[in-house]
Amino acid sequence: MTIQTFAALKDYFSANFEVLENLNHITDLKTFLVQQNPNAEAVLNLSRFAVNDTFVDLDFEIKPNDSISIIPPSSGG
Amino acid sequence: MTALALYPQAAEVNIEPLNALPLNLVALLSLAHHPKAGAVVLFSGEVRDNSLGKAVDYLEYEAYPAMAIKMIHAIVAEAITRWQLTYAIAQHRTGIVKSGESAVVVITTSPHRTEAYAANRYIIDRIKHEVPIWKCEYFTDGTKEWGGNCNCQKLTGDVNKHIYEFDQQNKL
Repeated sequence: MTIQTFAALKDYFSANFEVLENLNHITDLKTFLVQQNPNAEAVLNLSRFAVNDTFVDLDFEIKPNDSISIIPPSSGG
Repeated sequence: MTALALYPQAAEVNIEPLNALPLNLVALLSLAHHPKAGAVVLFSGEVRDNSLGKAVDYLEYEAYPAMAIKMIHAIVAEAITRWQLTYAIAQHRTGIVKSGESAVVVITTSPHRTEAYAANRYIIDRIKHEVPIWKCEYFTDGTKEWGGNCNCQKLTGDVNKHIYEFDQQNKL
């Protein structure tokens, strides 16, 4: 699956990368990313996840070809 | 309804929700006049020269266009229906914005002012809390900080649940 990160998350991860591990749900991806970079845990806990540009919950099932965006808290305006 | 048909119907389709260039408030406002609208509300969110007690040099806005554009269109369309607006648009800057410049503009118009004010506040609240747009503050001392985040999750326990000023105001 491909992962896209933005804003503050780019201080911890690349803007675009691939995850080849066998992960079933968004929550597994989140746990995996915290293991990869424990310093990112706080911002990951505040972030929303979108699969193919639609926001999803942590129990959402993910597939190998999904494109996942991790959206830190908005700070527009 | 023949007379109404002579004028664009509550359109926001021609306005790009994201703009990498300075927002032209006067040009956008000139599109908003409508013979059925007795009230025109323009909100411009502008960059302050200070934040967190430090002098701000400039802000840089990043957006995720694939989601942000769709979401702003949907929020504006919802407000048009909910308050029966004659016209509504929202446009947000991307890139570098200096203090005193507009970072976001929301224009709402309706026959009377109550609806235009309420809808305007609703649109800006939802944009600020939900739409994937982020500011990075660059201070004059050379430091930077991703700033002004939506912190609702600390109170609601859910990153998808927000507390809007709009709703708070309605409770007063």
